[in-house]
Amino acid sequence: MTFMKGNFQKFATVCAVALMTGMAQAADKPLEGVTLNLASMNDQFSAVLAQIAPKFKEATGAELKVDIMDYGSLLTKTTADFVGHTAGYDLITMDIVWAGQFAANGYTVDLNELMKRDAKDLDSADIYPKLMEALGNYKGKQVAYPFAGYANVLAYRKDLFDAAGLKAPETMEDLVAAAYKLTDPAKKQYGFVANGQKGPAVAQDWMQYNAEMGGAILDKDGKPALNSEANIKSLTVYRDLFKKAAPPGAADYDWGGREESFRQGIAATMQTWSVGAPGYYDPKTSKVVGKVAIALAPRGKGLPKIYGIGGWGMAINADAKDKQKEAAWTFIKWVTSPAIQKEMNLAGAGSYIRKSTVADKDLNAKYPFLPVLNEVFENGDGDYRPRIPEYPEIQDILGTAVNSVLVGTAEPKAALDAAQEAAAKLF
Amino acid sequence: MTTRSLAFDTARRGFLLLTLAFFLLPFLWLAMTAYKPSNAIFSIPPHLFFEPTLDQFRNALKIFDVGSLVLSSLMIAGGSMILSLMLGVPAGYALARSSHPAAMGVAYFFMTIRMVPAVAALIPFYLLMRDIGLIGSWMSVVLINCVLNTAFVSWMMFSYFRGLPKELEEAALTDGCRQFGAFWKVSLPAVRSGIIASALFCVLFSWNDFLFAMFLTRLDSKPISVALLSAYGTKDITWGTLGALAHFSTVPIVLIVLVLNRYFVQGLTKGIN
Amino acid sequence: MTNIAMNLSSTDQARAPSGLSSIPFATRRKFFLVAMALPAVAYVIALGVFPLVKGIWYSLYEYNLLKPARTHFVGIDNYVNLLKDADFRGAIANTVIFTVFSVAIELVFGFIIALALWRDDRFNRVCLTLILIPVTITPLVVGLIFKGLLLADYGMVGYYLAQWGLTDPRGLFATPSTALATLIFIDIWEWTPLVALILLAGLKALPGDLLEAAAVDGATAWRTFRSITLPLMLPAVMLALTLRTIDAFRVFDSVFVTTGGGPGNSTNTLMVYAVKEGLSFFNIGKASAIANIALLGVAIIAACFILMIRHFDKRANGR
Repeated sequence: MTFMKGNFQKFATVCAVALMTGMAQAADKPLEGVTLNLASMNDQFSAVLAQIAPKFKEATGAELKVDIMDYGSLLTKTTADFVGHTAGYDLITMDIVWAGQFAANGYTVDLNELMKRDAKDLDSADIYPKLMEALGNYKGKQVAYPFAGYANVLAYRKDLFDAAGLKAPETMEDLVAAAYKLTDPAKKQYGFVANGQKGPAVAQDWMQYNAEMGGAILDKDGKPALNSEANIKSLTVYRDLFKKAAPPGAADYDWGGREESFRQGIAATMQTWSVGAPGYYDPKTSKVVGKVAIALAPRGKGLPKIYGIGGWGMAINADAKDKQKEAAWTFIKWVTSPAIQKEMNLAGAGSYIRKSTVADKDLNAKYPFLPVLNEVFENGDGDYRPRIPEYPEIQDILGTAVNSVLVGTAEPKAALDAAQEAAAKLF
Repeated sequence: MTTRSLAFDTARRGFLLLTLAFFLLPFLWLAMTAYKPSNAIFSIPPHLFFEPTLDQFRNALKIFDVGSLVLSSLMIAGGSMILSLMLGVPAGYALARSSHPAAMGVAYFFMTIRMVPAVAALIPFYLLMRDIGLIGSWMSVVLINCVLNTAFVSWMMFSYFRGLPKELEEAALTDGCRQFGAFWKVSLPAVRSGIIASALFCVLFSWNDFLFAMFLTRLDSKPISVALLSAYGTKDITWGTLGALAHFSTVPIVLIVLVLNRYFVQGLTKGIN
Repeated sequence: MTNIAMNLSSTDQARAPSGLSSIPFATRRKFFLVAMALPAVAYVIALGVFPLVKGIWYSLYEYNLLKPARTHFVGIDNYVNLLKDADFRGAIANTVIFTVFSVAIELVFGFIIALALWRDDRFNRVCLTLILIPVTITPLVVGLIFKGLLLADYGMVGYYLAQWGLTDPRGLFATPSTALATLIFIDIWEWTPLVALILLAGLKALPGDLLEAAAVDGATAWRTFRSITLPLMLPAVMLALTLRTIDAFRVFDSVFVTTGGGPGNSTNTLMVYAVKEGLSFFNIGKASAIANIALLGVAIIAACFILMIRHFDKRANGR
């Protein structure tokens, strides 16, 4: 009997302690009971986001539910959520090219006020100004907060370059020459690879090379200029590269296909988002471990040294209730803080926004290419894919036009003339 | 057995085995990716052998709550099947038994509805679901799947009931059964196999539907067909994850088909003639 | 019908003269049948027809959810622009080619498989079960399977096809002349088993004595097939034909994940076009117009099938 009594007392004490700690926790955790729904792109960072969600709950009490989607579903579902005012998602990862669309329609909260209010918590001087601009600022409106910055870099096969006595290409002309030199179809060795598949895949890669060769999608007044001399010339070079220096299947590659070809070792150079780079160093996924170097993307001779940036911002749904908005903002502050940024990247998120993260010793030990990222982010260009409201349509028009040229059903000039005609109708 | 028919039988079996290989090997390839290390999914030249690993399943489970996905799929498929049968079977019966010229018109109308391109109905349906507060629930997907399924079931059961001799019910009716009783106790059991066939078509359709479910569900109600596409990310290697997830989307439905297969053939047999 | 009705009303009156039974049976029967059909009809009209009517309404507007300020009534402009649009005409042609070829080949191939599976033995039962697996796989995944297999540079099948010179080195999907045929092939892979199943069910329902009689008469296998099997199989063939045509005409998933309509526009189908306009650009006016034209197309096909079914019905009943 005494035994039982003793036990009961112990039990009661444990209960009381648990209750008190529970209450104490509730006091420290202002967001207890809040649930945040995050619509996330399925990218390297998404698994990490899901992984750190419990940590956020520990810190603030709010539960974070991460809905991971492919690109098309993400765009469709979040847009439906915005235009239907259904407020199903509180937080949305925003591709940088959606900024114009979001700003024009006021889908997301303009973060300027909140950023001013909480300036001292944000340490925003540590965030690359170019990323702050490109990953969410559109004509003064901060429609999203920078979350995952990607740098366009050149990945190349150091072993093949060395064997051929070539140096890392500094200009676009060098790259093209090297691509032809390193191509030997008999050995299944190709000098170049890029996305060729109809749609966003081919459009985005071409826009990158086009900018590097001195072309542009819009003219000075912000109107489409798809069939400019420079664009036609760059598309011709691009097509010839595909014909003579790329793996034959490249005309059908999307991002996954392109990356796989590089990891399989059949391509000697590839421009890519930095987020994929850790994969080349991982023997579990790559057959080119130890043979790859990451360098700054080349530019045409005489062109300014600026580099393509892309990635994702984190936006708050304008239709969310005030309490949700405040909680979502708390999440953004938390997830972009230096400590969490470092943790995410150690876990393989491949997403950088802070100078301190890029300079971090532990991360540099793991990912030797971070200095390249620093250079790109300092001199970044987030507008080679125009971040205007009409972007999705322009991308689609180019996606068909460039693909037609690559598979040989149209000539560069004719294709771009037709594309220009279609694009002009959008304005 | 004569030599000639034996030879014929062997040829027949050989043909079937080849056909089986044709229909199964592609799926087998995807299923195998789930057990391959990421760097062995593709190779140049392609080869067949690899060291099996369960990493891909681990990756898939890290990103997706597979239990919840399968549950959602089951709820959506089951829910829309039950509702469509409840609505469609009586309608098929009524159309088959009515001699009014309008009956054929209604059957035609159902057939046309079954053909409606999903995209035509999606946006208006989305706004409708928003207004009645069902966005993001299983129910919304069940409701829209049910439109097509009800139309299909009515149309299919229409032909089943037509194939059923009227004398059966007439006898029951004269026996003093009320009309519903005659339908319930006599006609329905006689087309049981047809109902199973319809049910299977409903389940297959809802289980595999992607567009409606992608548009109308949220994280908690997302079925596995939608997650499959999400698994195919852009920059990451995702064939293995896809292969792993495909197990969870295929095994349940294959089991259902396995169990009901015999009724399926019987059901169709009766309905056609 | 009237016969039984009279029979019934007399027995009813004799047994239990209630309020209901004072109404003649024929009327009650009518009410009963209407009551049975009503829920389904009402449901389909409420949730299916309502959005469709809205879709017709939308198609008369310039209506883009992302550009709400531009919304205005344009009459039939959306339709006129589509008919002038070469991409759209190409999409119609691709859709028709896709439907005709995939359905025709599925029927022939499916019939051969059904004949091979006709005999009811253990081997065939196992075969039938296994052969149905493609049908159970989500079309999206089917598309991805073939995308992975057919990659020209390192896909399990595509690599050898290109290596042995059987296909263009760019691979089947990247070559404009073969992309659509490859998609037809995928459709055949996925749906032939279903066609075989439906036709097998038809075969199993054939009256065995008729076939035996033909055999005794000394008819050749081919003649038996042509003059007895085939005509009796028509209902099953019609079911398979209708189901497959409807779904082939609306093909979307497998195209969407493999070629996205490319290369160029060589595999652009009506649904791929409509979904792109509707769900990527939220250009609801144009998407609705495309969908409505597609619907008109299917409705015409449906009407043809209905007429054919009725024709066979009449012939069967007349016999």
